[in-house]
Amino acid sequence: MDSNLYDPAFWSRLQFAFTIIYHYLFPQLTMGLAGFLVYWKWRALRTGDEKYNRAVRFWAKIFGLNFAVGVVTGIPMEFQFGTNWSEFSKYAGGVIGQTLAMEGMFAFFLESAFIGALIWGEKRLGPRYHLLAAIGVALGSWLSAFLILVTNGFMQHPVGYQIEANGTLGIASLSAYLLNPWALIQFAHNQMAALVTGAFVVTAVGAFYALRGIHSTQAGLYLRTGTFVGLVASLLVAFPTGDQQAKMVGRHQPVTLAAMEGKFTGGPMAGVAVIGQPNIGARRLENPIEVPGALSFLAYGTFQSYVRGLDEFPEDQWPDNIELLYYSFHLMITLGTLFIMLMMVANFQRWRGRLQSSTWLLWVLMLAFPFPYIANTLGWMTAELGRQPWLIYGLFHTRDGFSKVVSNGDTIFTLIGFTGLYFVLGLLFLYLTGREIAHGPDGEVVPGAGEEVIA
Amino acid sequence: MMIATWYAIVSFMLITYIALDGRNFGAGMLHWFVAKTPEERRQVIAAIGPLWSWHEVWLVAFGGTLLAIFPRLLASAFAGYYLALFLILWCFILRGISIEVGGHINDRLWQGFWDFVFVVSNFLLAILFGAAAGNVARGVPLDAQGNFSMAFFTDFKTCGYVGLLDWYTVSIAIFAMVILAAHGATYLTLKTDGAVNYRSSRLAKYLWMAVVPLFLLISIETFVVRPDLPGHAVYNPFWYLGLLLVAASIVTLISGLSTGRERRAFVGSKLMLVGLLVTGAAAIFPVMLYSTLAPENSLTAYNVAAGVNSFLFACIWWPLGFALTTLYFVFISRRYAGKVSVSRDSQGTY
Repeated sequence: MDSNLYDPAFWSRLQFAFTIIYHYLFPQLTMGLAGFLVYWKWRALRTGDEKYNRAVRFWAKIFGLNFAVGVVTGIPMEFQFGTNWSEFSKYAGGVIGQTLAMEGMFAFFLESAFIGALIWGEKRLGPRYHLLAAIGVALGSWLSAFLILVTNGFMQHPVGYQIEANGTLGIASLSAYLLNPWALIQFAHNQMAALVTGAFVVTAVGAFYALRGIHSTQAGLYLRTGTFVGLVASLLVAFPTGDQQAKMVGRHQPVTLAAMEGKFTGGPMAGVAVIGQPNIGARRLENPIEVPGALSFLAYGTFQSYVRGLDEFPEDQWPDNIELLYYSFHLMITLGTLFIMLMMVANFQRWRGRLQSSTWLLWVLMLAFPFPYIANTLGWMTAELGRQPWLIYGLFHTRDGFSKVVSNGDTIFTLIGFTGLYFVLGLLFLYLTGREIAHGPDGEVVPGAGEEVIA
Repeated sequence: MMIATWYAIVSFMLITYIALDGRNFGAGMLHWFVAKTPEERRQVIAAIGPLWSWHEVWLVAFGGTLLAIFPRLLASAFAGYYLALFLILWCFILRGISIEVGGHINDRLWQGFWDFVFVVSNFLLAILFGAAAGNVARGVPLDAQGNFSMAFFTDFKTCGYVGLLDWYTVSIAIFAMVILAAHGATYLTLKTDGAVNYRSSRLAKYLWMAVVPLFLLISIETFVVRPDLPGHAVYNPFWYLGLLLVAASIVTLISGLSTGRERRAFVGSKLMLVGLLVTGAAAIFPVMLYSTLAPENSLTAYNVAAGVNSFLFACIWWPLGFALTTLYFVFISRRYAGKVSVSRDSQGTY
C-alpha cells in the first residue's frame, strides 16, 4: 500500500472523503430536524399549546448551529470539484454542473433566505409566517439533498447523457437525468436515514432531561415524537428504501454487491455473512457465519437466484478497498437492525405509558444518538467505495479525474489545514451545542406550583 | 450569441455576489474602527447577521453555473489557483463562524476573540478577491492545453511565469480593500445609528476620497499590463453600459455623501462596484482567462463552453430559479429594511 502515498489521486480522495464525511454530519441533522420543526410548529398553530412553540424555539437554536457549520463546511465541497478534480470537471461539468447550479438557485437561496426568519423571526412574523419559514427551510434542505443525490446518482448509474464532439459529457435529456431511478431510491433511503438521525438526537435530549428530572413536559414531547418518528424512519430505511437500494446495486453494479458481501465465488443460495473477515489475498471470507440464501433472496427475489462472485469479474473492475467496503456495509446493516429493535422497545414502553419512567431504556436512548451518524457515514462509504474504481460508473476512472497540475505537496498542505480547522470547529460546535442543551428550553411553568422553573 | 448571453449571466451572478457580500467584507474590515464598545460591535454584526449565508449562496450558485456552462474554465482556473482558493475557503469558514458564534456568549474575551477572527478574515477575503480580480485582468501562465499552476509569487513581474502576487495584482488587491471598505462604511452608515453611524459616515468620506487616486493608478497600470484591452472594449456595448453606471454612481454617491442621504449614498456606492465590474467583464470578453505565456493559449468563452444541450437545459431552469430568487430578495429586503436593532436573551445576543 506504500505506493498509494505517491499517488495524487489518493491524497485528493482522502481530502474529499474527509471533508465530505465531516460536512455531512451537519446536514443530516438539519434535514431530520427540519421535519420536527415543521411538525411542531404546525401542531402549535392547530392546538395553541405553547409547549410546541417552546420546542420549536429550543430546537431552532440547535438547528441554527448545525446549519451554520453545514454552510461553511459545504462550500469547500463545491470548490473541490474544480481544485482537486479538474479533469473530472472538464469531462462531466456540462452534466453535473447543472444540478450543482440548481442546488444553489433552488435550494440554498430558499434555505438561507428563511433561516434567519425561522430562528429569530417568531415575534415579528407571527405564527403563520413562522410556520411558512420552517417549511421554506425544510423544503430547501430536502431539495438540496435531492439535487446532490441526482449528481451522485449520475456518478453511480449514468443516464440521460451523450458524448459531445470534443469527447466530454453533455446532457441528452434533462428529465432522464433528474429522474434517474438510482437517484430517486437513494434520495428516499438517504432522507429516511437523516430522519433517523434527527429522531435519535431529539429522543436523546428528551431522555437526558427525563433522567435528570428537569423540563419534564418538553422531555415527554421529545421522547414521544422522537421515538415515534424514530421507529417509522428506521423501518423505512430498511424497507423498502434500503432493500430497493441493494437491488439496484445488484442490477447495475453486480461486482460491487459481490464485494460488499465478500462473495469471492458466485452461486445460488448465496448467504449473508453475519460474521466474517474478508481475506483478499486468500480470496475467502474467514470464519464466516452466514444466513443461507438470504443474499439471493434480498438481491434478486428468490433463494435460488444466482449471485455472481468477484471471481467472475476481471480484477481491475473490483472496488479497490474491498475490506473497508465490506465492513462499512455490514456495520451499517447491523446498526440499522439495532435501531429498529431499540425503537420497537421504546414504542412498546410508550404504548404502556412507561417511557418516561424506564430508567434503563432512557439511558440507552440517551447514549444511542451517535450511532445514526455512524450508520449514515457507513452508508455513504458503502456507496462511494462501492463505485470504485470508477468516478462515473463504467465511463470514467477515478485515477483519470484528479487535477494534474496540483502537486501532492499542495494537497497534503490543504488536507492538514482542513484537519486543524475542522478539529477546532468540532470542539466549538460541541461546546456551544452542549451549552444550549444544558441551558434547555425556556423555563416552563410547573402545574400547580405556578412558578418559573429556572434550569 | 448563446455563449455571449451566458457569459453575461455568469458575470451577472459574480457581480451580484460581490455587490452583496462586498458590504460584509467592508463592514468586517472596519469593525474595530467604527465600533468600540461591545454593544456597538454587536450592532455591526447584526447589520451583517442573518444574511451572510444568503449572500454567499450567490458565489455557490455562480460556481455551479460556471461548471455547467464553462466547465473547462472552472476546471483550469480552480486547479491553477489551488492554494489561493483554499485560503479563501478557510477565510469563509472563519468569517461565517465568527459571525455565528461570536454573539452566543456574553463574555468579553469570547467576543473579543471572535471579533478579531472576523476582522482578519474579512481583510484577507477582500485582499484575496482583489488579487484574484488582478489575476484575471493580467492573465495566468496557461500552457497550450489550457492548464496552469501558480505559486503565490515568483519574480513579481507581470509576464511569463507569473505568480499570484506581483506589483500589479498587489495594487489591485489594495484598491479592492479600500473600495470595499468604503462600500462597507457607506452600508454601516445606512444600517446603524448612534456612534457607529457617526464614525462610519466620516470614514466613508475619507475612504471614497482615497479610492479616486487609487483608481487612476490602477487604470494606468492596467493599460501598461494589458495594452490590448481598450482596443477590444470599445466595440462592446456593455463596456459603455459599465461606464455609464460608473458615471451615474459618482453623481449619486457624491450627492448622497455630501447631503447625508444615507440610502442614496449606499445606492451610489453599490452602483459604483457594479459599474466597475461590468466595465471589467465587458473589457476582457470573450477571453475569460488570458495567457501570459502566449495569447493563443488563452481560454475564451467559446473554447471552454459545454455542449449546446447544457446551454439549452440551463435556459429552462435558470430563469425559473432566478425568478424565485428575486421573490426571496423582495421578502428579505422588506424584512430586514431599516436600522438594525440588537436583541439578546439569557444565552447571548442575536
